[in-house]
Amino acid sequence: MSDGTTRTIKVGYLARVEGEGGLTVTVRRGRVEQVRLEIFEPPRFFEALLRGRGFTEAPDITARICGICPIAYQMSAVHAMEDALDVRVEGQLRSLRRLVYCGEWIESHTLHVYMLHAPDFLGYPDAIAMARDHRETVQRGLRLKKAGNAIVALLGGREIHPVNVRVGGFYRVPERAELAPLADELAWARDAALETVRWVARFEFPDFEPDYEFVALRHPDEYPMNEGRIASSAGLDVTAHEYDAHFVEEHVAHSNALQSRLRERGAYLCGPLARYALNAERLSPLAREAARDAGLGPVCRNPFRSIVVRAIEILHACDEALRLIAAYDRPAEPSVDVAPRAATGCAATEAPRGLLYHRYRLATDGTIEDAKIVPPTSQNQKSMEEDLARFVAPRLALPRDELTLRCEQAVRNYDPCISCATHFLQLRIDEG
Amino acid sequence: MRARVIGLGQAAAGDDGVGLVVLDALRARGVPADIELVRAAEDATLVSLLETCAPVVLVDAVLGTPAGEVLELSPTDLARHGPRAVSTHGLGVPDAVALARTLAPDTVAPSVHVVAVTIERPAGYTQCLSPAVAAAVPRAVERVLGLVGG
Repeated sequence: MSDGTTRTIKVGYLARVEGEGGLTVTVRRGRVEQVRLEIFEPPRFFEALLRGRGFTEAPDITARICGICPIAYQMSAVHAMEDALDVRVEGQLRSLRRLVYCGEWIESHTLHVYMLHAPDFLGYPDAIAMARDHRETVQRGLRLKKAGNAIVALLGGREIHPVNVRVGGFYRVPERAELAPLADELAWARDAALETVRWVARFEFPDFEPDYEFVALRHPDEYPMNEGRIASSAGLDVTAHEYDAHFVEEHVAHSNALQSRLRERGAYLCGPLARYALNAERLSPLAREAARDAGLGPVCRNPFRSIVVRAIEILHACDEALRLIAAYDRPAEPSVDVAPRAATGCAATEAPRGLLYHRYRLATDGTIEDAKIVPPTSQNQKSMEEDLARFVAPRLALPRDELTLRCEQAVRNYDPCISCATHFLQLRIDEG
Repeated sequence: MRARVIGLGQAAAGDDGVGLVVLDALRARGVPADIELVRAAEDATLVSLLETCAPVVLVDAVLGTPAGEVLELSPTDLARHGPRAVSTHGLGVPDAVALARTLAPDTVAPSVHVVAVTIERPAGYTQCLSPAVAAAVPRAVERVLGLVGG
């Protein structure tokens, strides 16, 4: 590369991320001119699909958006519907929702930490190559993931695209005895999660700390999953009803996913780093101690170290799941009554990858008239592009293959779920 | 156990669910008690299901033209030559088999065959198979039974 030339680093197909996307970095005269995360997974029309359907159908339809985080979609859907219908779900039903969310965090984070992200740090092209040298470690990862899947399977009715979550609660709630096998495995999983934290904390991380505005839920008593106010490290503190006043989604020509930004300040980051920065003191004592021992500090701005924060969140989720199971007392009814009415409801919950916002407008009979879903990958896409530009600039002298690999690794820091992020868009192609 | 038959796919994605339909058809027809029929909902489950002393037959959809062809492949065929598997989320079928063989070389299934039905890329959300793929189900059933001696 020399001045006066244009160099394009193109990763045609990103491996080890969910969905189909590509990345183009354009370098001109030795400067990064443009970074484009291209999402070419086809749009999926979910918001249009929801219009005209009954309010009770939203959790089952939106669970189909993602095979990795269906619980997140179900939870945001039921909370938004309950907001519209002025229903509160409390007590053990609320605890069961938190428990099933713990299961999803464990399985989703473990998949990313062990199968997708760790090979980058240990110099392997994929988890299979890594398993040849780290067999017991990969076995631990698979078992840990299954511990999370088992929670989702029991409470959700099945592991993928669960069917037991409904507006107002569940269709069926388990007997206390049914949770006992989960607790036995979770006791092992908690130890395994602690080992995971210690394992990933020893990886080497590049020196890279962007000045993010972090956005996550914040709850007075809990590390947030289902509930809380939408907060940011720059002082934002609003309810889900105020989301649209502060956040805007925009279409960019190179992507089938909409990009979100804060109306006032632009790019922001949601996900594990944001949750941790805004809620570290609400982690379980064991997770707090592990974070301290891992050298995380109260805020972690290095996206490469997100693997450590994910491991901390796996540990917290195991701990929290055990606490919820110990305190479980089967509720008399699996759900509370809900009655349709004309209203608009909003909710945000914490999907493993970050804030997941749903808004529904309902007719008098509960028919969905309008739906809006903003997944975390859409929200992080602008930060990902800005990060890539900053990350690549001082590394332009690297050989092309190595720089391409580093770019792929940098994208994987965000665990992007491209399948979730694709929306219906009206595209106009200029062929002039 | 004489054999384990594992169905893969996404029932709501139309033809992608053909592996599950073939499994249901085997169940409806009736197979000897020592042939296990099982669904693998996700990758970690598939990896652990491959740990067995019995031969394994995976039944899955693959992208290919024309739709409705029944192919018998090895996981290596799938990895090297395509057609590309579209059933699992996270790890592909060849990856899951390779991972199982790496993690448990002594206890992994002695043989893994893939009975694949070609499909076009699923475009919508439907529980139904297209006519061409539905017509392939009896042939896929026969191919599985031929492999397991059912």
